[in-house]
Amino acid sequence: MSLVKIILTLIPFIWTIGMIPFVNRVKPFVLGLPFLAFWLVAGIIVAFLCIKALYTIDSKNNKEAD
Amino acid sequence: MSNEVMALIIIFVFVVGATVVGMIPGMKQKMSLEEWAVGGRSFGRWLNWFIMAGEIYTAFAFLGASGWAYARGGPTFYILGYGALAYLIGYYLLPGIATVGRKHNLLTQPDLIEKLYGSKALGIFTACIGIAFLLPYLQLQLTGLGLIIETCSYGQITRVPAMLIAFTMVALFVYISGLKGVATTAAIKDVIMMVAVVFFGLYLPFHFFGSLGGMFEALEAAKPGFLALPGGTKNLDVSWVMSTLVVTSLGFYMWPHFSANSFSAKNNDVLRHNAVYLPLYQFSLIFPMFIGFTALLVLVPALKTPDMAFMIVVQQVFPGWALGLVGGAGALACMIPAADLLLSTSMLFSRNVYGRTIGQNTSPETMGQIARVVVLILTAIALALAIFLPNMLVNLLLTGYSGVTQFFPMLVLGLWWKKASKLGAFAGLIVGELLVFGLILGKMDPMPFAGLNLNAGFVALLANTVIFVIVSMLTCNTKADQSSSAVIKNS
Repeated sequence: MSLVKIILTLIPFIWTIGMIPFVNRVKPFVLGLPFLAFWLVAGIIVAFLCIKALYTIDSKNNKEAD
Repeated sequence: MSNEVMALIIIFVFVVGATVVGMIPGMKQKMSLEEWAVGGRSFGRWLNWFIMAGEIYTAFAFLGASGWAYARGGPTFYILGYGALAYLIGYYLLPGIATVGRKHNLLTQPDLIEKLYGSKALGIFTACIGIAFLLPYLQLQLTGLGLIIETCSYGQITRVPAMLIAFTMVALFVYISGLKGVATTAAIKDVIMMVAVVFFGLYLPFHFFGSLGGMFEALEAAKPGFLALPGGTKNLDVSWVMSTLVVTSLGFYMWPHFSANSFSAKNNDVLRHNAVYLPLYQFSLIFPMFIGFTALLVLVPALKTPDMAFMIVVQQVFPGWALGLVGGAGALACMIPAADLLLSTSMLFSRNVYGRTIGQNTSPETMGQIARVVVLILTAIALALAIFLPNMLVNLLLTGYSGVTQFFPMLVLGLWWKKASKLGAFAGLIVGELLVFGLILGKMDPMPFAGLNLNAGFVALLANTVIFVIVSMLTCNTKADQSSSAVIKNS
């Protein structure tokens, strides 16, 4: 597995699990949400982008292999 | 028209409509066991997406998330986190499972374990543990459905007849259509659920507080710190959320019915492609929380059953048709996952327990018949439990997620680690499950350790993995193990 893929896999885990001790706060509100809730919602987008990137990389590799 | 009649008609239309749609695929064609259990491995992107996405919105997401928000506050937000991580794991894991599944015509999770380790006993053991965790889950869906219909009919229909009617219908369409019936109805359910939660989730805070931020400001003013960790609890703190996120994201695809759903995909690209878009579906889980928080601010007096927060607040603010809409959506949220659970539990029992012990020489056609009859029997058992012993299985249910997560080392290392051995799998699994039961039933969940509060499943998973690896290293040279692992590792 390439380094890029490992990093893309780790980012969502660090964002959503690893950062919890630093984002456990109510304020500031972002988009009307308490900060902790906002952080986890943002984590969904981060995960989406990372998996999307992994999928793009893998599709390209599969095509080359064909 | 009175509120009750209005609400009841809407619920009735939803429940009957979904059943009819679910029965169509099975009426059009005669199905073999493979078609019935995994849709003939023919599901393209959309059907597979709906069946995978549909799993998240069960009675728990609908009633439980709003109830947790109402009673516990900040810790509820963990629900937003685990899904996306689970899909990322699924991105790697599901194509691995499905590849082996296609090659060896596997239909269930214990099939896979049996194949990976070349051990019939381990397959049967896995099947029994799976059934033990699925049955209470099924019962929970039933109980949830009974509660929803009782509330929405303003007590006109009591719990028992509601459960009887709805679950006869579920059993009927699973019997006739199998997984295809589940997938098509899941599509309908998802659309209705989404409309209901988004509408009410936004309307209620705006109606009472002018905006979402206004609602949260009011809550922070009334209960400072409730929206962070540990919120309204004593020990669901940062370490609990972190360890719970590990358990739930790793455990997600360890549910026997989720593993089996990956066998329905046409090819691995379907699974990878869906892993990209499934996380976005997680956004919808935040709306029931908005409803729970609003209910906490506006409902007086406080509720005895927090899980009813969603429905009580809708009942007080809206006319009957709105409650009917919520009730109908909620009823489907119980019925469709229940259908999938029924199908999987039936396969585990008929194929992996009966078919591997006393029914070894059963032909595929007879096995298909048996699996369908077991669906009806399981429905009856779950109904009987829900009616006569509503609390007996609660303990088992509490252990559910932590319990199935213990499959993780066995399944993942079995697929990708050459030294994984049968004895290691047995030892790790037994230690893991015993720890889960011991800690949870001994009221040690979360488990206090060095100032942290760790999810019991997390502690058990650590012990399980260590034991699994050590025992595997010690026993991997035995002959039987090498021949069995060769089956998969070369594929």
